[in-house]
Amino acid sequence: MEAYVVDSAEWRRMLGRLVEEVEVVGPVERKDQPGFVRFHRLARPEEFVEDYTATTLPPKKAFFPPVEELFTVSPGDPPVIEPVGSEAPFVLAGVHPCDLAAIHALDRACASPPADTRWKLNRGRAAVIGMDCLPDEYCFCASIGTCEARKPCDLFLTPIQGGYLVEVHSDAGKKLLQGVRALEAKERDLEDAEEWRRKKRERMKAEFPATPEEFARLLDQGGLEDVWREVAERCYSCGSCNTVCPACFCFNVEDDFNDRLDGAVRRRTWDSCQLPEFALVAGEHNHRGERWERVRHRWHRKFLYLYKQFGIPFCTGCGRCSRACTADINIVDVSGRLVEFSRKERSHD
Amino acid sequence: MIDTAIPEGGLAAQSILRPEPARVDGIRSTASAAILDLSMADGSPLRHCAGQFVQVSVFGYGEVPISVCSSPVRSEAFQICVRPVGRVSKAISELEAGDWVGIRGPYGQGFPVSRMHGKDLLLLAGGIGLAPLRSLMEQARHERDRFHRLILIYGARNPGLLLFRDDLEAWSRDAGVELMVTVDEADEHWRGRVGVITGPLREMDLDASSTVAAVVGPPVMYRFAAMEMFAKGMRAENIYFSLERHFKCGIGKCGHCQLNDLYVCRHGPVFVLTDLLQRTEAIEAWSPEKDRK
Repeated sequence: MEAYVVDSAEWRRMLGRLVEEVEVVGPVERKDQPGFVRFHRLARPEEFVEDYTATTLPPKKAFFPPVEELFTVSPGDPPVIEPVGSEAPFVLAGVHPCDLAAIHALDRACASPPADTRWKLNRGRAAVIGMDCLPDEYCFCASIGTCEARKPCDLFLTPIQGGYLVEVHSDAGKKLLQGVRALEAKERDLEDAEEWRRKKRERMKAEFPATPEEFARLLDQGGLEDVWREVAERCYSCGSCNTVCPACFCFNVEDDFNDRLDGAVRRRTWDSCQLPEFALVAGEHNHRGERWERVRHRWHRKFLYLYKQFGIPFCTGCGRCSRACTADINIVDVSGRLVEFSRKERSHD
Repeated sequence: MIDTAIPEGGLAAQSILRPEPARVDGIRSTASAAILDLSMADGSPLRHCAGQFVQVSVFGYGEVPISVCSSPVRSEAFQICVRPVGRVSKAISELEAGDWVGIRGPYGQGFPVSRMHGKDLLLLAGGIGLAPLRSLMEQARHERDRFHRLILIYGARNPGLLLFRDDLEAWSRDAGVELMVTVDEADEHWRGRVGVITGPLREMDLDASSTVAAVVGPPVMYRFAAMEMFAKGMRAENIYFSLERHFKCGIGKCGHCQLNDLYVCRHGPVFVLTDLLQRTEAIEAWSPEKDRK
């Protein structure tokens, strides 16, 4: 892998050139909520925030927006159905390893036949620039194996003295560096970057209690209803955990009439398996009507069903669900409780 | 400066979740449901299998999954049967001939008809569950000599809610079909059987080793139907259930129909009972082998 050193001023210049040319989406501080950073279109390169921990909503929204218009229908005989969307290229910059891993997980899920062509189109429009970070008390990427995730970025930046070590991960990434003053990385620069990663791991306090494989086996064995019920006692079924998750991809499909009331627009919107109506069918029958069943479903889907299907857990250690939970339900703590409970139960067998 | 990898055809080729227009050729309403005759705008046949479903759109209202209730033998025109219970299904039931809907599909795994050949075919229908089984019944009648007995037990809440009366009439006159119709609550005109479908099932003389069953009905029906068939010595591998979920995509993406490690829309909606017994959340709260999971 090629690696270069780009100093801070040059990185800003590079961003500035990109901003002039295409839409650049990156971490930007909210004007209405100082201190809070979100992924948003950069108006100027100075807006790019280098040292954020985690945004409230994950960068997956650049490819899979919370509300996305799919097509319009206009009157006709037969009615005319036209896709809505964009083919314009854009850059998604400042994506942390956990969120890269989540985009990679969604690439896999969306590619499984029949492919989600809309995700693929939006992914195909973008170049992705990753960036390393330091954890807060909710982060646990080191223990879930995404701490050094790079796929599917084109360039990856690690802060070092005076600038960044820039790893090139694709031809598209190489092309982004054309015309940029980039010096070939020396041994010392690589060590600097390694030092950053050491610091990142050292500062990480939260630790996922099992390997994905062990954890999937434990969930599959079952017998954990007491823990699910315990967590459900506190859960409000508000769906915040799903809404902020970088790897959740459940959706709803809905219609609206257009302004002239002679046609319609179809959208897909993010949905949440924690909402009571998620598994409701006609006749008021709910396949996960009990709160504890929905809590269990969230863990099972992330760590068992999708793990079985794709060989990776659909949790990347970003900690967003724990930060967002209105009832302080922490994904690492609950998973720890499951492991502990399971060990106790097995020792009684 | 930016290399893109936009898939061939770009936005114009976007096909995911995009329906094709279909014309309403006719609509008949009964007390509890509407039956629509549909054909695709481009004249292409639907090519469905018995037990498969389509995603039906009324533009501006939304989209719902509905099983195809007409024979798979000819599918240039096809039928759906809708009970108006939600916003979209109400809009569907209020359509008129000449209106347009959107159709995606057919989707899902239907009944494994070839595995039913050479057997006694037992159809158990509850309420609107008759709709997908009508498709299977018509196929079985079309290739009648490939089956031994052909039995339908159909239950409705009351006589007014009985669906497909013309078909019931025709099947009752067909010497190749054993038909039993029962209602939960009779009215003064009802001369037929009263009670749930497990009654006629219990009394029926069945050869458990050569019978294969297809069951579609409300969630509460499955458990009792299964227990009755087990009591007769039938095995789970010869029992097929079609499950209902509110599919939003129909292609295993939206997550709504997740049934443990399966998607009802992709792996079902028709499942062999052996697959369901090992999973939770399939039918009511009943999953005998894994209930405490």
